Amino acid sequence: MKRRFPAGSDVSSVDELLASISGEPTGGRLKVGDERIVDFLVSFARKLLAPATARRYPELASLGFFLRRGEIGKVLRRLETPAGVLRFGRGLVFHIPPANVDTIFVYSWALSALAGNRNVVRISPRSAGAAEAVVEALNEALKDAHPAVAETQVMVTYDRDDKVTAALSAACDLRVIWGGDRAVNEVRKLPLAPHARDVTFPDRASFALISVEGWVSATPEQRRDVAVGFYNDSYWFDQAACSSPRALFWVGDEVAAQQARTEFRAELSAVLEAKHHVVEPAMAVQKRVSAYGVAADGHATSIAFDGNAVATLELTAAADVPREWLGAGTFPFATLPSLSALVPMVQRKDQTLSVFGFSQEELESLAHELAGRGIDRIVPFGNALTFSDHWDGYDLPAEFTRLVTVQS
Amino acid sequence: MSVFGRGQAERETALLAELTELTEHHRANSEQYDRILSALGHKSGASFDSLKSLPWLPVRMFKTHDLKSIPDSEVFKVLTSSGTTGGGASRIYLDKDAAAVQTRQLGATLQEVLGGKRLPMLMVDTIGIIKNRRSFSARGAGVLGMATFGRSHVYALDENDRPDVEAVKGFLEKHGHEPFLIFGFTFMVWQYLYEVARDHKLDLSNGILIHSGGWKKLIDIAVDNSEFRRRFATDTGLTQIYNYYGMIEQIGTVFLEGKSGNSLYCPDFADVIIRNPETWEEQPVGEPGVIEVLSTLPRSYPGHVLLTEDLGVVHGIDDGDWPGKRFSVLGRLPRAEARGCSDTFSGAIAS
Repeated sequence: MKRRFPAGSDVSSVDELLASISGEPTGGRLKVGDERIVDFLVSFARKLLAPATARRYPELASLGFFLRRGEIGKVLRRLETPAGVLRFGRGLVFHIPPANVDTIFVYSWALSALAGNRNVVRISPRSAGAAEAVVEALNEALKDAHPAVAETQVMVTYDRDDKVTAALSAACDLRVIWGGDRAVNEVRKLPLAPHARDVTFPDRASFALISVEGWVSATPEQRRDVAVGFYNDSYWFDQAACSSPRALFWVGDEVAAQQARTEFRAELSAVLEAKHHVVEPAMAVQKRVSAYGVAADGHATSIAFDGNAVATLELTAAADVPREWLGAGTFPFATLPSLSALVPMVQRKDQTLSVFGFSQEELESLAHELAGRGIDRIVPFGNALTFSDHWDGYDLPAEFTRLVTVQS
Repeated sequence: MSVFGRGQAERETALLAELTELTEHHRANSEQYDRILSALGHKSGASFDSLKSLPWLPVRMFKTHDLKSIPDSEVFKVLTSSGTTGGGASRIYLDKDAAAVQTRQLGATLQEVLGGKRLPMLMVDTIGIIKNRRSFSARGAGVLGMATFGRSHVYALDENDRPDVEAVKGFLEKHGHEPFLIFGFTFMVWQYLYEVARDHKLDLSNGILIHSGGWKKLIDIAVDNSEFRRRFATDTGLTQIYNYYGMIEQIGTVFLEGKSGNSLYCPDFADVIIRNPETWEEQPVGEPGVIEVLSTLPRSYPGHVLLTEDLGVVHGIDDGDWPGKRFSVLGRLPRAEARGCSDTFSGAIAS
């Protein structure tokens, strides 16, 4: 196993790895919101927000914002407990993040560390780019950090090896599995200790909703903001993040919705042009294959391409919406007469609705109709990818801690 | 009768009529194909003003969908190939007519360089590749398909994929004084025939080599088509070398290298269009782009106008060994990879 953080010599066994973080840390065991961890995260965040890094990997800037002292304080305040209830870390948390979203492992690890846990993070050997920059920044930040950080936190890379994953699974108190259905199912075959549990992040699908009325009455600036937000939500991770919208629904009058689509496509194309968005030919072909496939299956009545960057499909019926990835910048469209019309189509796996033009009351009423059967978050356009300590229906800091009650 | 006789203008006029008819035929017989064209806004019965305005399908559609224009009861043969882009194998459905036509037209194309007689044939492969007929690889299908065009076959590799120098020597002793056919995949021909012939000073000067399969591995060791031809000629005497380009999704159609080398030509029933990957318009001569292949052979499945995932360039029109366009294949488009939190497109996440 290659030791990525703290950078050092390779680890030859799981026992050795676990031994390195099992002793009593300098200055005592970690607490929830431990100052030693907070200081380390804040210094790490500063490195991510350094102009050179943030310019190269904008997603690391988002991570940097998430880990500023003020933001950490907000998370910790939500963990405050009433008198007689004490909160502690769960112990040892084993994180198995996805290979292809470079930064998501940092969020779950950071929240778990803040919760006072010892952590083992497996970084995929296929990780690259931003993940490498993260590891570099972590090791940089470690130089001035309290020794307890290196004594409780470790990140390693190892080739696919069920024995190692099994040993870490058996040793941990909480296992965090990212990476979709297959990863969850595979890792789940490896048993945990009886008291331990999993936090899983299976395959998810997300959608965008625009109120036709909201669009019609929007100012040109608002429309541009909608297009920019939609661009960020969709193109940042090649539309393949679980919270990237897979389809766009227009809610309202059908005739007005058709006009709105045309205007929206023009706005979106303008954004792509302004951003000098480049589409690799292979991605352009991928989008054709997917879009033609949806049509071949009878789920689309028309397909249009605004250059290689934007492909739109008119769905035969809104309920036919494809949930699988169709390629970066491929958007099935359908009109829904009302927000309620969405309710019967929503599935358990549906995660995020990015919305424009609805009131808080309308959206809460939709959430009540859905009643937790699907859709874990409803966010404004532009915020689909913004990570939060509430994710996939979990209150993560709560998941990463346990409660002890004391009554004299 | 030669299948390399049509000049470009004559070819385009003839193909436009035939391919337009085929487009209608496939629309009428493949609901999926009809839905795609309808979704793209093509009306049934529409006419097209040129080959380049005919709607194309991405070749990978045959990996994701079962596209065929014959009823299940007429399926005579299903060809499968995996290719290198992942996402499963292409499935190509042939009825009896289609199977016969593809063999006949492939024969007519190769006859151009092989003459009318079946020649003794040296296969640069192992007999093992065709022994297991149930689990056919694309390579096995290629070898078997080509075997019909020769006789007295000898395999240059033993069953353990090691060069069988004695077999090759034996073949040359028996047939080396008369014209003979050599067939194999480009990289294997280089590794298992060129190197062996050079090292053992074998005389291949009466050979006619037909080879295909891409240059990627050879480019890595700095051997391009010119170098390939030069080294074979210098070290083994082999000068009749014909590379070809073809794919299972347009079975029976091969784009064959002319005798002067370095350019591929279209048989009369086929054509290529190089498209700009930004605009998808046709590229001018000399500008590289994505290769679209057109052929009148696919009648049992809608593969008559296909956008490949290969890059190519047209070097000239009606100015080479044969009439029509002459072109080269430059390589493959890289695979589209997405970042995402799901493992759907990246294989197992725990890997």
